[in-house]
Amino acid sequence: MIRTEQISFHIGTFALQGVSCQIPTGQYFVLLGPPGSGKTIFLECLCGLKKIDSGRVYIDGREVTALEPRARNIGYVPQDYALFPHLSVEQNIAFGLRVHNFSHKDIMDRVTEIADLLEIRHLLPRRIEGLSGGEKQRVALARALVLQPKVLLLDEPVCALDEATRQEVCAQLFRIQRRLGLTTIHVSHNLEEAFSVADRAAILHQGLLQQVGTLSELLREPNSEFVARFMRCENIFCGQAVPPFLLSQESTGAGSCDTKVKVGNIQLRLSGRYNGQVKFTIRPEDVLVFSGSGDDVQNENVVPARLQRWRDCGSYVRIELDGPVNLVAHMTHAAFAELQAKHRPDVIVMLRPENIHVLPGF
Amino acid sequence: MTSNSPMRGWHDSIFAAAFFLFMAVFIIFILILLISDIFYIDKKAVIEVITSRYIRHALWMSIWTSFTTAGIALFFAVPTGYVLSRFRFPGHALANSIVDLPIVFPPLVVGLTLLVFFSQTALGRWIQEDLGLEFVFQPKGIVLCQFVAAASLAIRSAKTAFDDVDRRHENVALTLGCTQWGSFRRICLPLAWNGIIAGGILTWARAFGLFGPLMIFVGSFRGRTEVLSTTIFLEQSVGNLEVALAIALLLIFVALIAITVIRLIGGSAVAKL
Repeated sequence: MIRTEQISFHIGTFALQGVSCQIPTGQYFVLLGPPGSGKTIFLECLCGLKKIDSGRVYIDGREVTALEPRARNIGYVPQDYALFPHLSVEQNIAFGLRVHNFSHKDIMDRVTEIADLLEIRHLLPRRIEGLSGGEKQRVALARALVLQPKVLLLDEPVCALDEATRQEVCAQLFRIQRRLGLTTIHVSHNLEEAFSVADRAAILHQGLLQQVGTLSELLREPNSEFVARFMRCENIFCGQAVPPFLLSQESTGAGSCDTKVKVGNIQLRLSGRYNGQVKFTIRPEDVLVFSGSGDDVQNENVVPARLQRWRDCGSYVRIELDGPVNLVAHMTHAAFAELQAKHRPDVIVMLRPENIHVLPGF
Repeated sequence: MTSNSPMRGWHDSIFAAAFFLFMAVFIIFILILLISDIFYIDKKAVIEVITSRYIRHALWMSIWTSFTTAGIALFFAVPTGYVLSRFRFPGHALANSIVDLPIVFPPLVVGLTLLVFFSQTALGRWIQEDLGLEFVFQPKGIVLCQFVAAASLAIRSAKTAFDDVDRRHENVALTLGCTQWGSFRRICLPLAWNGIIAGGILTWARAFGLFGPLMIFVGSFRGRTEVLSTTIFLEQSVGNLEVALAIALLLIFVALIAITVIRLIGGSAVAKL
């Protein structure tokens, strides 16, 4: 288990500001954030490579805040792997074992074992120069794992790889993590990477931990506009809650726990009670688009719109809709084909109350 | 002609040809100078250089003092270069500049400064008289003079070489169980080795050919403080131009061999670190 309590560290004008989080044993944790958000610095603080200004770091219940990096039993794979170019693959992997004065036989046994696990035995005699990105990544991982660390810290481990190799390596990382039961922190700025490996994730921005949770929670229940945008939610709106006394019994519904919110010239029903100004998000994939015109609009949370632009994004189609509120929707290719957008740009859009998430503390 | 980048068109050929031209002009110019020296000297001068025990002594003095200087310079250059490269401290910029100062000293100033220090200051006199470490007009002074004039080159090269070593390599070594010293010895030093050796070669070359400050600080006493560079000066000052040039060619020949050997030894040593 890794636990950090109020870690603070500053360098120049940048500062990590009281980062606290807890990662249970055996969990694959992904730390997300845009470049420059402090992800690498956070990892280096955990490793002991940066001396923190304040706060505490615990690994498996033991406080390691004041310990040197070598005493923390951490496996660390930095960005671009930092393989030792003057050593062979075998020497790179065996480096930690040699430093710890393992016997030659133990070194050979452990190196062979980890090389087999990562399927790089054939690379052992090779020099680092000339290895492919994926091979380098596996060698760096083997070098970090050979000392059987309690936790594994991966700094952008696949960012230098091409798309296909990235997916393959992510799958391998996840398999190995599960097999060894290692508590792992994987730093990335890439959401797809997180979806392929994460049990839980956190978002860091300007040195502040914004939100920690499962990816589903980060997607569906972001706690700030930044998190929502980072999770690629483009539909973020401000509205004014309509006071209940202004609503008829019919429109509120007897015993209703919902709130009506006025956005532009329409009213949307939201799950839950809110007052005053609210900011809310609707994920693009939760925007339901049907063919039809404004005449068909009879239900609440159904608004007329017009298709303005659409773009094929591979696995889905991204469409931009103009209407009382401007929306972005993601549709499957099949659903988009049914719309016959070229001939009938007028559509109706349904926004289900349970899919509308109100950002807290606004 | 081979190149790491593919040749694509006539403009690429012109580019390469122009750059090769600069290299060729320089090399040809140097070779012409050497060849004109070779044609100038005669058999008698060569025999004199080979048989003169003073010249043999000067050669030996040049070799041992310059190698000693290069060794001491590297001994200082590695830690100094590492500190300047890796640590930030108050006065870092000033320290960095002071390290470079001897490079811009006019050579004669080095000799004069050393002479003033050892003859006119209390500390200098204490070193010479009380500690018994005599440098002025002594063979030890040759090494000191060469060191002051040339060590900056070794330090500058070492610092640049350490700058080029990605700090993440050392960081990884620290997480793999190394102490700071261990990561320096096992990772940083081998990766910076070629640059350090290059600095050693520069230092040695500067020390080997040093002349001006030696004439002031240690003089040129036959069989005692005479080195090849001062021998050349003495020979040409008494009109023995052929002998002076023969000694110069000997100096160049020894330098060529020494630089090649240092490169070879330095290259193989990196694997053993």
